[in-house]
Amino acid sequence: MSQKVVSANSQLCTGCKQCELFCSFEHEGIYSPRLARIRVVKFEEKCLSVPVTCAYCERPVCEEVCPVGAMKHDPATGAAQVLEDLCIGCKECVNVCPLGAVEIHPKKGTAMRCDQCKGDPACVKYCPAGALQYEPLAHTVRDKRRARVTAWSLD
Amino acid sequence: MRQIAGDILFVNLTNGTWWREPVSKNVLLPYLGGRGINARILWDHVKPGTDPLGPENVLIFGAGLLSGTAAPSSGRTTVTCLSPATGLYLKTSGGGQWGAELKFAGFGYIVIFGRAEEPVYLWIDDEKIEIRDASKVWGIDVRETDLAIKKELGDADIQISSIGPAGEKLVRFAAVMFSVYHAAGRGGAGAVMGSKNLKAIAVRGSGSVAAAKPVLFHETTILARKNLLSDSAAQGLATYGTSGSLNGVNELRVFPAYNFQRSCVDDVYPLTGQYLVEKGYLQRRVACFGCVIGCHRYSTVERGVFAGSYAGGPEYETMSALGGGCGVMDTAAVIRANELCNIYGLDTISTGSVIQWAMECYEKGALGRQDLDGRELRWGDGEAVVRLVRQIAFREGFGDLLAEGVKRAAERVGGDTYKWAVHSKGLEQSRVDTRSAKSYALAFAVNPRGADHLHTETFAEFGLSPEARALIKTITGDEKYANPYITEKRAEIVRWHEDCYAVTDALGFCAFSTTALYGITPKLMADLFSAATGYNISEQEIMLAGRRIVTLEKCYNTRLGADRKDDTLAWRLMNERSPDRPDTIAINSTAELDQMLDEYYSLHGWDLATSRPKRSTLNSLGLADIADELEMAGRIGKE
Repeated sequence: MSQKVVSANSQLCTGCKQCELFCSFEHEGIYSPRLARIRVVKFEEKCLSVPVTCAYCERPVCEEVCPVGAMKHDPATGAAQVLEDLCIGCKECVNVCPLGAVEIHPKKGTAMRCDQCKGDPACVKYCPAGALQYEPLAHTVRDKRRARVTAWSLD
Repeated sequence: MRQIAGDILFVNLTNGTWWREPVSKNVLLPYLGGRGINARILWDHVKPGTDPLGPENVLIFGAGLLSGTAAPSSGRTTVTCLSPATGLYLKTSGGGQWGAELKFAGFGYIVIFGRAEEPVYLWIDDEKIEIRDASKVWGIDVRETDLAIKKELGDADIQISSIGPAGEKLVRFAAVMFSVYHAAGRGGAGAVMGSKNLKAIAVRGSGSVAAAKPVLFHETTILARKNLLSDSAAQGLATYGTSGSLNGVNELRVFPAYNFQRSCVDDVYPLTGQYLVEKGYLQRRVACFGCVIGCHRYSTVERGVFAGSYAGGPEYETMSALGGGCGVMDTAAVIRANELCNIYGLDTISTGSVIQWAMECYEKGALGRQDLDGRELRWGDGEAVVRLVRQIAFREGFGDLLAEGVKRAAERVGGDTYKWAVHSKGLEQSRVDTRSAKSYALAFAVNPRGADHLHTETFAEFGLSPEARALIKTITGDEKYANPYITEKRAEIVRWHEDCYAVTDALGFCAFSTTALYGITPKLMADLFSAATGYNISEQEIMLAGRRIVTLEKCYNTRLGADRKDDTLAWRLMNERSPDRPDTIAINSTAELDQMLDEYYSLHGWDLATSRPKRSTLNSLGLADIADELEMAGRIGKE
C-alpha cells in the first residue's frame, strides 16, 4: 500500500476552507468552493468541520461504472484522472461514489474528482491547521495508532 | 471589478421589492469596500432626525472586498446603521463564513430599507431573491433558527445571519449573529434588524470570486499568509485564542475588574485561554472563512451546574465582561453566560457591563432586592449573571431596565449611579482600563461609535512584541514611544491605527492580522487591492482612503450634532484613580484628554473648539460634497 492519499483529521480542522480555495484556484484559476475537489462539511452549532475528498478506493466503483472509460488512474503515478474528452456527464460516478467526493463541473458538465495535484496537493500544502496529510495510508495509520496509544498510556 | 466587489442588493421590506446595482469605480476607489462603502451608503440614506429603531433607519451589510478569496483572515463582514445605543454612527463587524458565501452568490452588500409587516427572512439563492415568512422562527434562539431555516430550505450547507430574541425585543445591545457564534455585537445592530421584523438572511452562493490579476493576486496572498504566520505572536493566538493574552493584560493592570473599580484580579488563571486548554474546556480551535490563525474557540462544560453548555468562545472580551468585570472567576459560568449571549443574540461586552453596574448599585444600596425581582446580586455570583443574561434578552423583570444599556439605566435609577456607568456616547466600554493605556484612552474617546477598541486597536503601544515596537518606531520615529503611560505621540499612534483599521475593515481583514499581529501590512493590503481590482494604488493611497473613511464617519456624527464634548470617557475613569497602580498616571483626566484631543484634531485638520472637520481638510480628501452638506447644516469646522 504505497499509494499516497489525502487524509483528514477533523479534530484539527478549524473549518477555514483554505483547502477549498487553493484547490479551486489550482484547478480553475478562480476561488470557488463549488469547484473544489475537497469540501469541508460543517456542523456550525458544534463548530465541527470535516474535510471530505476522494479516498482513492481500492475498488474504485466510479471507474467501474463509467460507461465510456473516462474515470482512470495514471498507470505511472497512480493519480486519478478524468479524461474530459471522453466524459459524457452521465453522473453514474457521482451516484455510486459512497463519499460524495465526485461531482459534475457546473460549466464543463464533466466529472470532477481529486487528482492530488500531480503529487503535491495544494489543499495539504496550504492547510494552516495541519489537519490534512498526504502520505501512504500505512503511515497515516501508524501515526494515528501511536497518537491514540500515547494519549492514554503516557498521561 | 464587479466580480471582486460583488453587487449591491437593495431590499425594501415595506413593499417587498428588491433590486441590484453594481459597485461603481467612483465608489470603489475612494471607499475601498466593506466598511467604507457602507459608510457612504449610510451617509446618503440616513439623515438627521431618524429614529434608530424606526423604519427610516437603514441596515447595511458589507462583505470585505477580499472576502471569498484566499487572502488570509479576510472573511469579515461589516454591519452599518444608526445605533440605537448611541443615536450615532455605528459600524460593527463579525466573522464566520457568511460574508464569503454572500460573495459567492454575487453580492458584496445588502441594504435593507423599511420594515416588514410580519416577521420575515431574506433568502438569497445566487441571483434568486425571496422574502419569506419567518413566523416559525420568530421567538426562537439563534442556534435553533440556524437549524430550522437550513431544514426548511433543505440545505444544511447554506450560511445564515440572524438575530435572537434580544434583537426581536429591541435590546439596545442586541447583536447580529453570523454562522451561529460569530457576532457583529456592538451598538445594537441586532435591535435595528429586529425593528425591521427581519429575523435572518440566508445565503447560498455557488459562484466564484476572481481577482482582476488572478496569478499576481494569488501569489500575493501566499506572501501575506507567510508574513502573518511568521509573526511572533501568531502561534500563541492560535493555541490559546484571544483570552490567551489575559495573564499579560492583568499584569499590566489594564484588565478591568469589578466594574472598573479595579484594574486586575487576584488570580486570573480561570479566565485564560491557557485554562480552557489545560482543564479540558476547549474542544476545538475554530477559524472564520479563509483564516490561517483560527483564534476562535469551541468550549463545552461537562460537569457541575452548567454541564451541557456548549458554544463558540469565550473570547477575551467575554472572559472580562462576564467574568472578571462581575468578579466571576468560575470558568463554567462564563462559558454558560457566553453561550446564552450567543444564542439569544446579545453583545457580551455590554451585557457584562450592565450586569456589573447593577452589582455595584446593589453593593452601594442604589438598588435593593425589591428592584431585583426579590433577589440579591453580589459580586462573583455566576448563577446570577447567567440568570440576568436571559432576563435581559427577553426583557423579563429587572432585565428590562438593563436591556436599555448602562447609560439609560443609570439615568432611570438616578443618584450617583451614573458614576459607575462605564460608557461613552452611550456605548459600554470594552475591556481595557484606559487609565493606564493612553492611546486607548484617546482612541476610545474619539471613536464615533463609543468607547471601544474596534475602531482603533492600539495594542502596539504596550510594545509587547518586536513587531509592535517596530511599528511604533515607524509611526513616531522612536521605539521609546511604545509606552502606554505617556501622552506624547498618542495622537500620531491613534491616527495611524485609525487609517489602518479602516482599510482592514474595508478589505474584510481581521484586526488581529493587521493591528495585534502585524503580518498584513498596509503595503500588502495595497498590493492585494491592486491585484484584486486591477486599479493600482500605493500604500500611501490606501492609507489615505482609510482616513477618508474615518473622516466620513466623523462627519456623519458631526452632521447629527455630535461635538468635542462627546469625545470623552466615563466618569469613573476621569475621576477615580486605579487602585492597582501605585503611581500617579493611572487616571484619565480632563487635562490629559484635552491635550491629546488638541493634538489629534490638529493632525486631522479638524476645528479644535468643536472637533468639526474643516472644509479644506474635506476638500483635500475628495469629500467636497460632504463639506457642502455640513456647511448647509451650519456644522462645518472653522478654518
